[in-house]
Amino acid sequence: MRIPVVFLGGQYNHLIVRALKELGVESWMITPKVRLEELQVDGLVMGGGPHSVNDGLERFGNLPQIIERGWFPILGICLSHQLLGLLLGGRVVKGRKPEYGRTIIRVIEADEIFQGVGSEFVAWASHNDEVRQEGGRFRVLAKSDYCDVEALKHESKQIYGVQFHVEVAETPKGKEILNNFVKMCR
Amino acid sequence: MLKSISPGGANSITSINFNPSAFVEEKVRQIREYVGGSKAAIATSGGVDSTTCAVLAHKALGGRLICFFMDTGFMREGEVEEVSEVLRSLGLPLRVLYVRDRFMEALRGKRDAEEKRITFRETFYRVLSEEAKREGCDVLIQGTIAPDWIETSGGIKTQHNVLEQLGLNTVERYGFRLLEPLLELYKDQVREVARYLGVRLEASERQPFPGPGLMVRCIGEVKEEKLKVLRAATSVVERALGGLRPPPNQYFAAVVEDERSDASQAVERAVWEALPGGKVQYFNCRATGVKGDNRAYGKIAVVSGGKADIEELFKIPERIIHEDGDVVRAVYELGGEGSGMGGGSVNRYAVLVRAVETRDFMTAKPYHVPMELLERLCRDLLEIKGVSSVCYDITSKPPATVEYE
Repeated sequence: MRIPVVFLGGQYNHLIVRALKELGVESWMITPKVRLEELQVDGLVMGGGPHSVNDGLERFGNLPQIIERGWFPILGICLSHQLLGLLLGGRVVKGRKPEYGRTIIRVIEADEIFQGVGSEFVAWASHNDEVRQEGGRFRVLAKSDYCDVEALKHESKQIYGVQFHVEVAETPKGKEILNNFVKMCR
Repeated sequence: MLKSISPGGANSITSINFNPSAFVEEKVRQIREYVGGSKAAIATSGGVDSTTCAVLAHKALGGRLICFFMDTGFMREGEVEEVSEVLRSLGLPLRVLYVRDRFMEALRGKRDAEEKRITFRETFYRVLSEEAKREGCDVLIQGTIAPDWIETSGGIKTQHNVLEQLGLNTVERYGFRLLEPLLELYKDQVREVARYLGVRLEASERQPFPGPGLMVRCIGEVKEEKLKVLRAATSVVERALGGLRPPPNQYFAAVVEDERSDASQAVERAVWEALPGGKVQYFNCRATGVKGDNRAYGKIAVVSGGKADIEELFKIPERIIHEDGDVVRAVYELGGEGSGMGGGSVNRYAVLVRAVETRDFMTAKPYHVPMELLERLCRDLLEIKGVSSVCYDITSKPPATVEYE
């Protein structure tokens, strides 16, 4: 099982690689300049980073094409979740009440990505921007008190985004969520 | 920008499957190959990373390695002697450099956290390159680990030991080639390597101490008197919190001038709602934080009064930040002389106590220290001459960092 992680400059990107390895997956970091043809993989995780998708998409390299044409499951975390929100037709705006640290995620639509984690769980988030659905080609799977789109899913493909960080120790169910994603990649 | 040891082609950045014995074997080979027939120097602080790295390099190079330990003036009480003794007991060829004055001089008048860190780094490498040259070394080995360069390349803070990732040419600037064998590791993996190499427990298990040491806990300008208060407070805090089980992953004291200004009414209201009867002010200084993968340098809120369970206090920083986005952390005042406005009082420093629980230091939460213990700690700290207030840090990472600067 091969699932690389796209490095977008976020502090926790390395922790995603580490968490995947702990789940028995062969994982490593790649840059967003990677081309779709180069990706001999079973799935792809895209990490967070310090930018805003509203400042232009140059930093995201070939990710838009990969998201559009990839044949494997994709999980976008934090900034990459926002990238998905934007590319799938939603909007990304500055959050009125940004979340830094602990937050409570409420699952509003059952899905295999959240299998076994319950309908409410503690997670850690750190973001200034947030996704608004507004006609986007995705379903909203979870929300929190301060953010309406904590998790999204492409309307027809196994492409997921989570605003919170599944890869940090302070999201106790994060590993299970990541494992649910890994199972889809088989 | 980043080193590549990976299975996945040109666009890959890193990958290693972790196994301490294979790691050591591979690194010993790489160190020998890189250093060739030259001599190498390593600067150790006595912390886990640099000590482990020194033992690893010594294993590879034997007598062709020289190990420097700098007394920068920012060490804890008795630490210079203690660390020298640990390093010697590991068989490392040690030279202690007594250079306190050079650091104090370079830092005089500097208040900004980044400016202080950069000044520290420049002084550190200038001293190091002079000494390395004198010893005929042209390679410098250092124990940089993953969070150091991730934070620095993300612009969160300038770690004193991160150079190449910032694009600094070390040969041109300082006259040595740089080798960083631990670059891909996290703290807990370094500890595994340390245990594998037989590094004595005191060194490999002790709580992390930042390279610039007490400098980053002396918030704002560094002054002799302030540093003295900090050193005394550090000993008291380490003694008081060291006995907690399970131990906090890091616990320490920081010190800042006890000068405050008022918070807005919206912030006061938010605090009042979470903590009936509570008050809030700001210290007149700034501290480092991390918000949404970006560095933040903002205000420290001081919450006092009211009555609430400590877990409830931990929810206050978020409420304050929702009303004032310029705040990066909040502390709860355990006790003090009262107004905290300084005035004619001879006691003019606030001691901030921080204790956190974390796996890898990338994220952290404040440690739930029993209130009775905090109250006792507060009484002890107020006995130190110069201390007017004692506070406990109630902020997670993010939005704060573990250290203050």
